[in-house]
Amino acid sequence: MQIQTHIDHLDRYKTYRRMTDAIHSFLNANHYLELDLPILSPALIPEGYLEVFETEFRYMQKREKLYLTPSPELFIKRLLSEGVGDCYYMGKSFRNSEPTSDKHFSEFTMLELYKVGENYTYMKRVVSDMMRTITQELYGTDWLTFQGKKVNLADAEELTVAEAFERYASIKPSDLFDPDAFIARAREKGYATEGFSYEDVWSQLYTQEIESHLGTSGKPTFLFDYPLVFAALSKPNPDGKTAQRFEFYIEGIELGNCYSELVDHELQSKRLQGEQEERKRSGKIEHPLDYGFLDALHKGLPTSTGIAIGLERMGMVWSDAQSLSDIMLLTIQE
Amino acid sequence: MSVQAGNLKKGEFIIYQNDIWQVQKTEFYSPGKGAALMRSKLKNVTSGKTIDYAFKSNESVETVEVTSIEMQYLYKDTENAFFMDQQTYNQYEVPLVMVGDIIHYFKEGETMYIYVHNDKPISVRPPVSVTLKVVESEDAARGDTVGGAKKEAILETGAKVMVPLFIKQNELITVNPETGEYTGRANSG
Repeated sequence: MQIQTHIDHLDRYKTYRRMTDAIHSFLNANHYLELDLPILSPALIPEGYLEVFETEFRYMQKREKLYLTPSPELFIKRLLSEGVGDCYYMGKSFRNSEPTSDKHFSEFTMLELYKVGENYTYMKRVVSDMMRTITQELYGTDWLTFQGKKVNLADAEELTVAEAFERYASIKPSDLFDPDAFIARAREKGYATEGFSYEDVWSQLYTQEIESHLGTSGKPTFLFDYPLVFAALSKPNPDGKTAQRFEFYIEGIELGNCYSELVDHELQSKRLQGEQEERKRSGKIEHPLDYGFLDALHKGLPTSTGIAIGLERMGMVWSDAQSLSDIMLLTIQE
Repeated sequence: MSVQAGNLKKGEFIIYQNDIWQVQKTEFYSPGKGAALMRSKLKNVTSGKTIDYAFKSNESVETVEVTSIEMQYLYKDTENAFFMDQQTYNQYEVPLVMVGDIIHYFKEGETMYIYVHNDKPISVRPPVSVTLKVVESEDAARGDTVGGAKKEAILETGAKVMVPLFIKQNELITVNPETGEYTGRANSG
C-alpha cells in the first residue's frame, strides 16, 4: 500500500465538497439531526458478506479487540430505540478484503440516514428530493452529465427485482424465488452452479445481467423488493418472498441501499444468527455479536426507514469523474 | 491448471465456454448480496471479440499455459501482423484484432515477445516501452514551456502522441504502447 497525493484533483474535490455541503444543508433544513459517532467498536452486527478490520486496545496487561465499523447502524439503532428521532451520520466506514477499484475503497464515507414513522417508499422520495436539490445547488438545473450521458434528477425509474430479472435476464418470478428452479435456469445459461448456493449464483446473475442496465435511461433507477434471503435488517413484505429493501443506481453504479427497518427482535436475532453462520462458513473474522443492539431492538425500535449511501460514489457521479480516486486529494492504495 | 477467479490477472489466458480468452481487465466487486465477483473483460484469441463477464471470486477458472517467444516484427497487411522466430527463422502471423492498438507503435525490425499456444501464435506481449523518432512536430511558441502544456507529434510509425512542448523534430522519445502516452526522452546515441 502506498500514500499518494493528487493535487491535480483539486477542482473535482471542491465539487465533491460542495455536494456534501448541499447534503448537510438539505438534511438540516428537513430537521434530521447530525450524529457524531465512534468508528471503533468492541462488538458488531454480523454481516455474512462483509469482512471487517480488527485492531486491539492495549493498556498494561489489558488487551481488548476492537473493530472498525463497516456501518454506523449498530450505534444509530441504539439511539433510535431511545428516541433520538430523525437523524443521520456522515463519516468513515470500513470494509476489508475488497481490493481498491474504480468504485471501491476499503475506507469510505457513508451517509446513513433514518426517518422515524415511515417506510422505504417515503425514503425513496427523500433521496429523490435530495438528489434534485444538490443538483440544483451545484449546476442550477435538474440535470447532470455523467461520462457523456445526461441524467435527469427530477425523474426516476421504479422497478422491482422480479421485473428486472424478467426484463433483462428472461427469468420468470416463479423461477426467481425458487432456489432449485433458479439454479437450473442459471446452469442453462452457462453459469457454474456446482457447489454454489442460490445466493452466490443470484449475485453473479445480478451483476452480469441486471446491474449494468440500471439507471441508464437518463434517470436514476430505484430497484425494489429483494428476495428474502437478502433481507438483512429489512422488513419482510406480505408476499412472503421479498423484503422491503431498495437500492438506487445511476449509469449502472450502485449508490445506496435502503430498508424499511425490521423491528421484530425475535426475527432479527434469528437473522443475525444466520449471518454469523455465513461468516463462519466463509472463514471470516469472528467478532463478538453486539448484544446491546439486540437489547435496543427488544426495548423497541420505532417504525423507521434507513438508507446507506456511498458518498464518494455520489461525488464521482456529480463531478463527472471516471473513478473514486479522481475526486480524492490523497489515497492509500496498492 | 486452474485458479480462483479472484486471483485472475490482466494478461492471463483462460478457457471460458470452450474458447481461449485473454484477460484484459479485472475488477473485484462485492455487491453485498451473496458471492463477491471478479468482473473481467475478456478478449477472444480467435475472433478478437471482447466480452464482460463476472466470475464468482471463488469460482475455479481454467488457465491456459502459453510460452512467450522472442520474435522480430516484419510487417503487417490489412489483417495480420507478421513475425519471425529468430531461433528457427519460422514466420508467424498474428491477427491484427489480437495485436490491438499497440501495433501503431511497432517499428519493422523490432523484437518483441509473442505468446504461443500449441505452436500457434495467439497474441503479442505489449513491450513496456518503445523508442520512436519524432518525424513531425511544430516548434513550441516561446514562453509557452512552463506547466504541463503538450503538443501533438507524429512518430516514424505514423502514430500521433501528445508530447511536452520542448520535444523537437527528429528526437527519440519513449512511449507506452498500451496507453499511447509519452513517457520520456530516449537516451540518444
